[in-house]
Amino acid sequence: MELLPLTEPVLLVLLSLAEQPRHGYSILKDVEQMSGGRVRLSTGTLYGALQRLLGQGWIERFDDEDTSRDRRSYRLTAKGRRNLQAEIERMRHLTRVAALRVARKEA
Amino acid sequence: MLRLYRSLLFLYPVAYRDEFGPEMTAVFLQAEEEHDGRSLAARALFYGRESGGLILGAAQSHFRSVFGNNLTPFWRFSMQRQFRFPRSTVFLMCVILAAVAFAIDKAQRAQAAISGRVVPTSETVTPLILTFVIVYLVAALAWGILYAFRQTGMHRLDKV
Repeated sequence: MELLPLTEPVLLVLLSLAEQPRHGYSILKDVEQMSGGRVRLSTGTLYGALQRLLGQGWIERFDDEDTSRDRRSYRLTAKGRRNLQAEIERMRHLTRVAALRVARKEA
Repeated sequence: MLRLYRSLLFLYPVAYRDEFGPEMTAVFLQAEEEHDGRSLAARALFYGRESGGLILGAAQSHFRSVFGNNLTPFWRFSMQRQFRFPRSTVFLMCVILAAVAFAIDKAQRAQAAISGRVVPTSETVTPLILTFVIVYLVAALAWGILYAFRQTGMHRLDKV
C-alpha cells in the first residue's frame, strides 16, 4: 500500500481503468473527461503513473488487438481494485466527516 | 516537435525508454493530431505541458531507479538492494576531472603568456582537485550512511 494516499492523477488513472481496460491515449481522454477538462495529463505524467502502478502490481499490461498502432492496453488487477476501493472508502469517510463538521459549524 | 519529443525521451533511463518509449511516442502523436486545428496558444500550452511532463517524468524515473517506488526515500532510507554505485563512474569522473583540469591549466597558461606572467600549476589545478576530492568524500560518506541504515533493516520500519 505504498502508493496510498493516492495523488489525483493516479486516482483518475485507476478510476479510468476501473470501468474497462484502456490504452494510453484512451486513458488521457477519459481522465480529461472525468475531471471536466481540469486535469490534462501529459504523456510523461501518465506513463510515470502507469510505471509505478505496474511496479506495485495494481495494474497489468496486455497486447491490444489493434496492432496497427504501437500500443498496449492496461487493466486493473484484483489487488488494484481492492486498493482503489479502500481509497474510495477512505475518501467517503473523509467527506462524510467534513460534511458533518461543516454542517455543525453552520448550525 | 516529434524530434524534440524523441530527444527528451533520451533523458529517461534506458530500460524505461525501451519499455515505454515507442508507446509514449504513439500516444503523443495521437494527442498532437488532436491539437492540429487548435489555436496557437492551445498548441503552445500542449507542447509546454508535454515537454515539462517529460523532463519531470525523466527526473522522477531516475530518482525511482535509485530509491525505488517509495515517495519518501530519504527519511525512510529505502535504498534499493540492487542499487550499486557503478565502478565505471569513478573512472569516468577521474577522466573528466583530468580533462577539465588540463583545459583550465592550458587556458590560464595561454592567458599568462599573453600578459607575460608565469603561473605555477598549484594556482590553477589544485583548488579544482581539492573541490573534487571533498565533494567525492561527502558523497561517499552519504552513500555509506544510507547503506549502513539499509543493512540495519531500518527501512522496514515504514512498513510496520
